Amino acid sequence: MSGQPVVEMRGVTKRFGQNEVLRGIDLTVNRSDVVCLIGPSGSGKSTLLRCINFLESYDGGEVRIDGRLIGYRDEATRRPMPGRDLQAMRESIGMVFQQFNLWPHMTALDNVAEALIRVRGLPRATAADRARAMLAREGLTDKEAAYPARLSGGQQQRVAIARSLAMEPKLMLFDEPTSALDPELVGEVLQVMRGLAAEGMTMIVVTHEMGFAARVATRVAFLDQGRIAAEGTPRAVLHDSEEPRVRQFLQTYHERNDF
Amino acid sequence: MKLSAVQEALPWLLHAAVTTLWISVVAIVFGQILGLLVCLCRVSPNRALARFGALYVSFFRGVPLLVQLLLTYDLLPYIGIDVPPLAAAIGTLSLASGAYSGEIYRGALNAIPRGHVEAAQALGFGPVAIWLRILLPQALRISVPSLVNELILLLKASSLISIVGVTELARTSHTLAAQTYRPFETYVTAALIYLAMNLVLSGLGAAAERRLAAAGH
Amino acid sequence: MDFSVYLHYWPKLLSGFGNTLFCWATGALLGIALGFALALLRRTGFAPLLWLLRGVIEVVRGTPFLIQLYLLYDGGPAIGLKLGAMQAGILALGIYGSAYFTEIFRAGFAAVPRGQVEAAESLGFSRLDILRRVRLPAMLIAIVPALTNMIIILSKETVVLSVIAVPELMYQMQSMAAETFAALETIIAMAVLYWLMVEAAARLGRAAELRVTAYLRVA
Repeated sequence: MSGQPVVEMRGVTKRFGQNEVLRGIDLTVNRSDVVCLIGPSGSGKSTLLRCINFLESYDGGEVRIDGRLIGYRDEATRRPMPGRDLQAMRESIGMVFQQFNLWPHMTALDNVAEALIRVRGLPRATAADRARAMLAREGLTDKEAAYPARLSGGQQQRVAIARSLAMEPKLMLFDEPTSALDPELVGEVLQVMRGLAAEGMTMIVVTHEMGFAARVATRVAFLDQGRIAAEGTPRAVLHDSEEPRVRQFLQTYHERNDF
Repeated sequence: MKLSAVQEALPWLLHAAVTTLWISVVAIVFGQILGLLVCLCRVSPNRALARFGALYVSFFRGVPLLVQLLLTYDLLPYIGIDVPPLAAAIGTLSLASGAYSGEIYRGALNAIPRGHVEAAQALGFGPVAIWLRILLPQALRISVPSLVNELILLLKASSLISIVGVTELARTSHTLAAQTYRPFETYVTAALIYLAMNLVLSGLGAAAERRLAAAGH
Repeated sequence: MDFSVYLHYWPKLLSGFGNTLFCWATGALLGIALGFALALLRRTGFAPLLWLLRGVIEVVRGTPFLIQLYLLYDGGPAIGLKLGAMQAGILALGIYGSAYFTEIFRAGFAAVPRGQVEAAESLGFSRLDILRRVRLPAMLIAIVPALTNMIIILSKETVVLSVIAVPELMYQMQSMAAETFAALETIIAMAVLYWLMVEAAARLGRAAELRVTAYLRVA
């Protein structure tokens, strides 16, 4: 362990007009951590995640990746950092979206190879080989030539994961990766994520899959109204927390899944 | 750009603009009647009627308006119908407008959720009552923005009737341009008058749309 | 009715048809290029430029093509713009079309799903690569129907060029009608010809649409 955290957030705030979405977030993620962000909808989980690769700009505080401030040149003047620098930082942060966001006009293989060609500058053939290997790892070899519309939701999400992993990121962000999937397809995606965690990937996962959080996460953070209301090991947050908001959230969750 | 030339031309052009405006309004009113009929044909379960509606729309949208106008002028006398040019021009504009409006109404009908009809059927409404109480009121309301757009298109298209001899805004500006040797000033003024009329129309349309939206939606 | 007159006039008619196609194609291409350039300029978000462009587009969309054509051809020399009839006609078609094409492109850009752009951003794509590889393809697919529709509308506007004596099909047909006194036959033939042409173009457009969106369909 290098001692240097992969992600450091200090007093991060964010507002959309009158609405304060993040009200001072402190969060540290170390190498090989798997941090699950849970909480009611509208609590700011996704916004928090999107601040980490600056898809969403934050208003106050700082977000550091490997010690380097993202999005701004420096904390004092808060002038936006040059696009080229931001792009370079994003190269090493993979992101997986709720709606997959595959490019519909490219085949599965091209979806994975595109960033290797455009961003990494690899020759077309090398990029295609690497993309093929990534898809093979996920058992999607027979889907290389398929366009996203012909893939199931689970397959699309696995291609999207392969697309991110091909860039060899040091950090993976997952924004509700299984929420748009039919229930029977959730398993295949969670299995890929579990495999990644076992390999030591640093991951931050916004999710409603409490089972995944309980079994795979090294830490769980519970967000409520833009603040981290509880944070700790899965056991500490999901079973032993005395925090009433956590208990109420888990209560409704259990009731919904009881039958 | 000589302002005196504009000043001289303006009264004539404004006078002609009134002609353009009323011709367009009359044509669109007739166009709506034709449009509703065409729409009813197209959605009719009767194959022949539906076929006729489709052919009508395809012809009047497919053939350039100028060709349609000339066709009317040459065809009517040939089959023994003698009407003044103005009437023939308004008739042709109405026929064309009917094709476009018919498609707007058909689109609006398609936009009404099928469930509305099923709910009425379940309550025992007859087909006539469903048309009068459920479908038409909604279709007309959905159509308002497109129809305003259609009126603006028609107002611009009406400039073509100048070519077959109706003295409206385009014709008057063409004559003035030739008489005064000031084509640039004359056409700029004419263009601005068209623009002003269209801006007023689209403003009225936006207001009507807001009223409808406020009235319940 | 006597349709045999066409036999004597076919070379003129053929060249007229060629000119119609030429004016249509170059006018449409010019309109698309201008419209796309305008759409890109509008994306810069520089406020005074936006107002200016909006104003120009509003003027072109709010006035009849015929008046624009007269203004360009008859009024052009007053501001030092001396154009031949066909040049004026093509330029007028291009300017007229650009005001509509630019709206189509603007709507197309707006129709690109935000997530597809975010995916590229999160992978570190440059703005240019995002435009080239994600925004443009997604946009083009979204606008094929509107684009073909506008191109077809322009085909119908080409007949208006006959009023400034561009030797396109309409003009040739009319001069033939004047010489042969066969006005009705001529105009009927014109109507049928344009009807077929527009229908064919519409069908081609639909085929193109099906083709470029093939991969969006499941199986």
